[in-house]
Amino acid sequence: MRFFVNARYLIVPVSSIVTITGVLLGGIYAWLGMTLFGLYTVVDTVTKNIRFRAEKDVNGNSYGVKTFQYLVMYLMLPVFILLQLVLAWRLYQYTSGMPIEAANIGFFNYQLGISGLHLIGATISTALWAGLGIIYGHELSHNKKEGFFVSRLIMALSGASHFTYAHVYNHHLDLGHEDDPATAPRGRNVYWHAWLSHVGQSKFSYDLEKNKFNRQGKSTFSLKNKWILGYLYSLPSIFLFVWSGGLLGVIALIIVWTISNFLLEALNFMGHYGLIRQEGKPVEHRHSWDNDNVFTSWFFIEIGRQGDHHVRGETYFWELDDVGAPNYGIGYFSLFILTLVPFVFRKFVKHLLEDWDNNHATDEERLIAKKFTSIGIES
Amino acid sequence: MFGLFDKAKEHTAYINDESSPLMLKVEKGKTLLNAALSSGLPWPHRCKVGSCGSCIAQILSGKIKPQIDFTYVLNADEIANGYILACQSELCSDVRVKVNLDKSKKRSK
Ligand code: FES
Repeated sequence: MRFFVNARYLIVPVSSIVTITGVLLGGIYAWLGMTLFGLYTVVDTVTKNIRFRAEKDVNGNSYGVKTFQYLVMYLMLPVFILLQLVLAWRLYQYTSGMPIEAANIGFFNYQLGISGLHLIGATISTALWAGLGIIYGHELSHNKKEGFFVSRLIMALSGASHFTYAHVYNHHLDLGHEDDPATAPRGRNVYWHAWLSHVGQSKFSYDLEKNKFNRQGKSTFSLKNKWILGYLYSLPSIFLFVWSGGLLGVIALIIVWTISNFLLEALNFMGHYGLIRQEGKPVEHRHSWDNDNVFTSWFFIEIGRQGDHHVRGETYFWELDDVGAPNYGIGYFSLFILTLVPFVFRKFVKHLLEDWDNNHATDEERLIAKKFTSIGIES
Repeated sequence: MFGLFDKAKEHTAYINDESSPLMLKVEKGKTLLNAALSSGLPWPHRCKVGSCGSCIAQILSGKIKPQIDFTYVLNADEIANGYILACQSELCSDVRVKVNLDKSKKRSK
């Protein structure tokens, strides 16, 4: 059981390595990362009704092995760096006009040079898996100093190092309230939310630093400013892509960052869409949506157990459990596809929000919900 | 990272009343707040991730290991006077600690 409980969270690490291998092999294999995403969407949809509770031994202890899980999370930093390096290598080959021909290193046969079409495949594949950095960036943001720093570096690979501070000091405190840019109010679509949430969290992180330095009577503009530092951590990615692909490298990096940040914000969007918390009241299970079918749980290292996570923010992901939080009833992959078509998502979520208003919300929260209804926003 | 390989150990927190303090065993790797809550102490708390300041306590003697930077929630005077966030503190030694167990202190951001 211990082996199984720990190994099941390796879907993303293994898939990231498969994606890297695909880009290295070149040709049609450059699309492997994107293909895996499609395949996992199907698996997630098919297994939407299968759920497990967090397994515990006879003493009530989790089977999760902290040392192993932390090692994996830390090792994902070099994996995500490698993901960008192999894409940059392909960009260099394309922009330098390297002829497309078979090559090998020992038994490893690959295609040297890459066509424009397959470069697109490599870029999208890289972007999708770079976006998965969020699940480790998120988990590590809640843990010790070293973990927090690794979280910042992982997020910096997507130009989003501010997330780590904003998530802990803003999202966990202000969840379900308009002060939290990561909570999507009713009526907002995922595309608009991605921008508002990203910019809002970055602004929060800047203000957090500014207020800290003001209190200390020091200048905000210093290399000790974590908001500035966070963006500096992203410079190696920018240099890498500019060096390897010039203008095309910049375009590729914009695509990678846009897609990966969109995935991050889509998770925020799905996690709390339309849920309401009265200011000053404690965060309860009802303020988050759970997505905890089997594939989503294992793939996203239980990030879908938002209800439990937001009440026990210090709890390791492998210990999170079903706590009776509102549940979409489908996994993140399937739900993500729905969010991409806003009117379909709002139709899907309408009865869930009605149920929340009627059976979960407090009287005060219901009153706030009514304000949305009064201006024609029902879901 | 090397903290991952630390051997299990525990320290004691002597809480409040100097003459007959509450004694709390805190295992290595566990936060002061979690140890208190597991033993049934009504330690004030809200977010448990170091952002709200509700779990504030004052260390009168001994050493703790902060898991995150306290300066975003506590001001310089508080830090200089030994205030900590219990949800983000592990013990490096036995400590004497003062906490208001009766009411949670609501802090503004
Ligand atoms: S419980 Fe919120 S800072 Fe400790």
